[in-house]
Amino acid sequence: MHIRKFDVDYGRRTLMKNAALGVGAGVLAPLWPAIANGADLGKVYPDELLSIEVLTKGKIKPGDTLTAANVDVVKDLLDPITYRQVKEMGRKIGIIAPPKDTSVLFPSAFLESSLKNKGKAKFGPDGNIYAPDGGAWLGGLPFPDAKTGEEAISNLTLSWGRSDYCQYAIRQWDMQPDGDQAYQYDFVWAELQAQARVDGTTFQNRKDLLRIQSVWFTGPSDTAGSSFLSTWYYDQKKYPDLYGYLPQFKRVRQFPTNQRFEPLLPGITWFLSDAWAAGDPMLTWGNYKIIGRQPMLGSVSEGWAGDKKNWEPSVHGGPKGKTFWDTTMSLCPDCIVLEAEPTGYPRAPVGKKRVWIDARNQQFIAYITYDRRGEIWKSFEAGWSQYSKGNVAMKDESGKPAWSWTYIHSHDIQSNRMTRIMHTENTTGGYKSQFSTQGVDVYNKYLTNQAIQRLGQS
Amino acid sequence: MFSLRQRIAIWIIGHQKISWAVFVAITAFFAVGLRNVELKTIFSDLLPKDDPFVQVFKDHPNFGNPLTMTIMVKRKDGDIYNAETLQKVWQLTRDIDLAPGVDHDQILSIATEKARYAEATPFGIDMRPLMENRVPQTPEELADFRGRVDKSPNSRTFLISGDNAATLINATFIEQRLDYGVAFDYVQGLVEKARDADHDVYLAGQPALTGWVYRYQSQMYIIFAVTLSALILSLVLYMRNVVGVVTPIVTSAVAAVWGFGLTGWLKSPIEPLLMIVPLLLVARSFSHCVQFTERYYEIYAHVKDRSKAAEITMGVMMAPSVLGIFTDIVGVFLIAIAPIPAMERFALFCGFWCIWLIPTGVVLISLLLAALPAPKNVDRLVGGDGRESPFQKKFQSLLRSISHLSYGKPARMTTVVFAVVGSIAVYQALQIKIGNPVEGSNLLWPDSEFNEAIRQINSHFPGVNTLEIVLEAKNPRDPARVARQADTVMTMFKLQSELENGEAPPRATLSFGDYLMEGNRLFAGGNPKWLPLDPTNPAVNAAAIAVTLGSSTKAFSHVIDFNMQNSTVSLWYKDNKQETVDGALAAARAAVDRVGIDHDAFRVRLGTGTIALQQATNLVVERYHWAIIGLLNLVILIGCSLAYRSLVAGLILLIPVNLSNFVLNASMHMIGIGLDINSLMVAAIGVGVGIDYGIYLLSRICEEFHAQDNDWGAAITASLTTTGKAIMFTASIMLIGILPWYFLSELKFMADMGLLLVLIMLINMVLALVVLPLLVWLIKPAFVRRNDLLVGEGVDLSAYTAQRESYIANRHAELAVAK
Repeated sequence: MHIRKFDVDYGRRTLMKNAALGVGAGVLAPLWPAIANGADLGKVYPDELLSIEVLTKGKIKPGDTLTAANVDVVKDLLDPITYRQVKEMGRKIGIIAPPKDTSVLFPSAFLESSLKNKGKAKFGPDGNIYAPDGGAWLGGLPFPDAKTGEEAISNLTLSWGRSDYCQYAIRQWDMQPDGDQAYQYDFVWAELQAQARVDGTTFQNRKDLLRIQSVWFTGPSDTAGSSFLSTWYYDQKKYPDLYGYLPQFKRVRQFPTNQRFEPLLPGITWFLSDAWAAGDPMLTWGNYKIIGRQPMLGSVSEGWAGDKKNWEPSVHGGPKGKTFWDTTMSLCPDCIVLEAEPTGYPRAPVGKKRVWIDARNQQFIAYITYDRRGEIWKSFEAGWSQYSKGNVAMKDESGKPAWSWTYIHSHDIQSNRMTRIMHTENTTGGYKSQFSTQGVDVYNKYLTNQAIQRLGQS
Repeated sequence: MFSLRQRIAIWIIGHQKISWAVFVAITAFFAVGLRNVELKTIFSDLLPKDDPFVQVFKDHPNFGNPLTMTIMVKRKDGDIYNAETLQKVWQLTRDIDLAPGVDHDQILSIATEKARYAEATPFGIDMRPLMENRVPQTPEELADFRGRVDKSPNSRTFLISGDNAATLINATFIEQRLDYGVAFDYVQGLVEKARDADHDVYLAGQPALTGWVYRYQSQMYIIFAVTLSALILSLVLYMRNVVGVVTPIVTSAVAAVWGFGLTGWLKSPIEPLLMIVPLLLVARSFSHCVQFTERYYEIYAHVKDRSKAAEITMGVMMAPSVLGIFTDIVGVFLIAIAPIPAMERFALFCGFWCIWLIPTGVVLISLLLAALPAPKNVDRLVGGDGRESPFQKKFQSLLRSISHLSYGKPARMTTVVFAVVGSIAVYQALQIKIGNPVEGSNLLWPDSEFNEAIRQINSHFPGVNTLEIVLEAKNPRDPARVARQADTVMTMFKLQSELENGEAPPRATLSFGDYLMEGNRLFAGGNPKWLPLDPTNPAVNAAAIAVTLGSSTKAFSHVIDFNMQNSTVSLWYKDNKQETVDGALAAARAAVDRVGIDHDAFRVRLGTGTIALQQATNLVVERYHWAIIGLLNLVILIGCSLAYRSLVAGLILLIPVNLSNFVLNASMHMIGIGLDINSLMVAAIGVGVGIDYGIYLLSRICEEFHAQDNDWGAAITASLTTTGKAIMFTASIMLIGILPWYFLSELKFMADMGLLLVLIMLINMVLALVVLPLLVWLIKPAFVRRNDLLVGEGVDLSAYTAQRESYIANRHAELAVAK
């Protein structure tokens, strides 16, 4: 049944009102009961928030491509950098219909965990998130229906990859303003949840930790073996320990814990602080506030290029036709617009970040940093998808299609340098992407100082 | 039979409506172009484009820190290791990050995380910022901070002065986001706010220089307004009638609209630093109009008919006007010989402006004179019959006295005096040095705030006088990244060693290799014995990865490019005096020869930086100063010889202006000023515009020779007391137009050019009034005896009027037959 008794702006007005009142997701009815029951979102949102065609009065519809010629129609559904990419730099974005089944927006175990533990999370006096027994968070989204900025950021921070162990084979290209490639890196990013795990356990009883995460570069050959190890504490006021390893010197280098606004290697536009739109412990930032709720276009489904060699899609746009990934987006009916400031970093060059979070799965779809003058600086746009396409699928531990990020566009709009990153099947050195440990002792293999030294020498 | 110029005059005045319509249409066309006019200083366009140093600079604009502003904070009474000074540095560092267009990744001071020290710990190498998340406050914290600085050799050399009294804050801007005026205003505001009783704060760097120039250029509009007002006022006082005031203003304004409009249509930015020249053209146009109008008064007094008077004036004044403007055009266009893009564009702009002075100063002015109400004070203006004012009588008496120097017995003495003065002038002028090095920028006065900042930074730090030797990758996409290959880095070391141990050593050197050695030492355990790098690609690459791990290559943009392909060896020198520049370049050339220019993956290019670019500017002056004068002489000689149908006439006209140029150069040499880029323009304009005086006078002498019954002395006296007056008026107008720039402009570049132009015009005037008649007296040239000269201004008005009526009647008859 279509609800037509509302005018075309009713949904937007109600979202704004909900944001002002601190009400959770949903316009016609609360969102999360519908997700829990596998119900049709048509009962939660009016047509204009579920259909780009209705919202734009037929000007844009699934199957269309956003180009400079028509992007103005959806200007307010894109972050300002993405808009400029389409308007001025030749980026094109395919428009697809939003998923009917919201379960495709989660790893299955994480959704189950979120539903199972719904309502159990609470903030402690120290600002951290605790379970009812005062212990660490139980796993899944702590605040599936986030109503405050703190709740929204904790959904992003406590479990980045939404699996207890994720290992991403990554290929990255750093593009110059003239559209040529400046650098190219292949690397592996591994993250192991110590707590807030979907399996409900604590890794090796490390109750002081949230996660252990490492990055090791595998290509090009002169950089291969350079690696970083970051240990996150559960206490979100504490800065992570950060070590780097240089295979050529066989030396570990300790980085200043507050060095969060520098690239890992030359040419890269993103900082550690940008990763997952929540790259720093959440209590090292402050002044969280939800400044609005709105529909947005985001790459949240059907974006996995599993049918392409090494999952690498084509590129287009920019001065040399290779600045942007080919991507698709769909209408996300309800996005939280969150802002925060780096209050724990007195020398941060960033003034604030603005994050657009899809209320359906509480994952970010767009992210912008501003400099301290308030001018737009960088974007960190991610695509997400269930890892299935036609007959091809990548399965998780439970045998269901995996879910993860697919691509990143990190665009420094001030210096006009772009880093585009692809989550690939495998990368130089034979490393493959995976979403569980697959029975391997990944901690000792990838996530200790000894391990990164060993990786560098191999 | 009427000459062509007379027939043109008759047609134009006979078809005034069509003529006006053409002028209105052309002016409207150029007026539309005005919306695209852009006044813009492009600093790199002030450099000679064909110079090898400039080509290195253009190929590697990031070396030599062209986009970096540097603030120096100096504690007046002690060192920087106190909470108050460090707090000031912290705050300035944070505040400069708010500057419009700043690259947030490229701010460096002792208060940023990028200034680090390193320690070997049981866990590995611990690299930490010199300053933690807050400013050290207690004596213990301050002592700890000082200890950290001691463990950071690069900070010790480049961020903190040897006497610990000063420290630097560097901020680099993103070129495409940088609005020089806005960024400078912001940072200068910070600097002014930060100064107090205990601290001096200075601001330097190319963006700051540009900012100062922009700030002073806004003064230019005020000086323009002052100068134009003075010109108009002098016109009003001299003419005291509507036609005499309105005609020069409208004529000059229309020429200006055409001149600016053309550049607008061509979308060619105008260099504001050279705007004094257009003002000279306005003054030139004013004085030309005055002479034209005065002639019109004389004719009007006779024929009592505005149209007829305008037509006759146009007919008689066309040839001398065109010849006078022709020499201006040649002078201005020849500026473009020097391969300096700003001057090429400017020559185009001003050259066409000069060309526009022909239709406006000959045709439009005649149309205006025919249309505007006739002056009521013509008789008083024309003078004669004893109606001159006492001032004019004294003035003429002075001119009569001057004329006596040029003929008869006194001429011998005058000849001797000028022969001696001329010889000395030529000798002295040939001794003149090239270049006017000042510590800082020659665009600004030596005591300007910017140049003081440069002096202070030079005295506390390696400074700003750099010579960059660039190691340029043959393949800019070399996958091996040339800047971090062994051959490249070892070549850097060899160059540094050669230069440091050779003659005229720099006060400091820096290359990417220095950072690599420090990285090598730290990651090999910290012992200084690990400073040297193994000369192998793996070892050099390892060190490069070590120093760039966890940071951007932007942090090294002063020594390598973003992609680690091109690199530079920076050499700092104590000053930019010519002997230092010569010594530095000789040593650098020798060092480059020893390491070899051509390597497998790169070539060594000398060079860029302030030292090399200063030399490039000097070289262009050296190469083109005499070439411009030579060519100018040749073109004017041909033009004037044709006009007077005599080679001797051309020579007679050129001798005084060239002598003027020698006198000016000799004077400059004697007071210690060298030839610089200003001299190129002054030389061209001095000869091109200055020769007008000679043309006026020589033409008059030719006429007066016949009027005075072939009496050379009487002809000279009569010419000086009539045209000499006009020459003096013209010179005064020029003086009013240019001299205020010297006193009002805070831009030394403009003031210098103003002064030099005033001097050369004055010298030209004096020599035109004395040397030119002297030459005529000595040579007694045959062409003066002829009465068919193209440039003669004389006319028998009664005969002309009768002839005109007959011509027009014939034309009407011809047209009737044709119908």
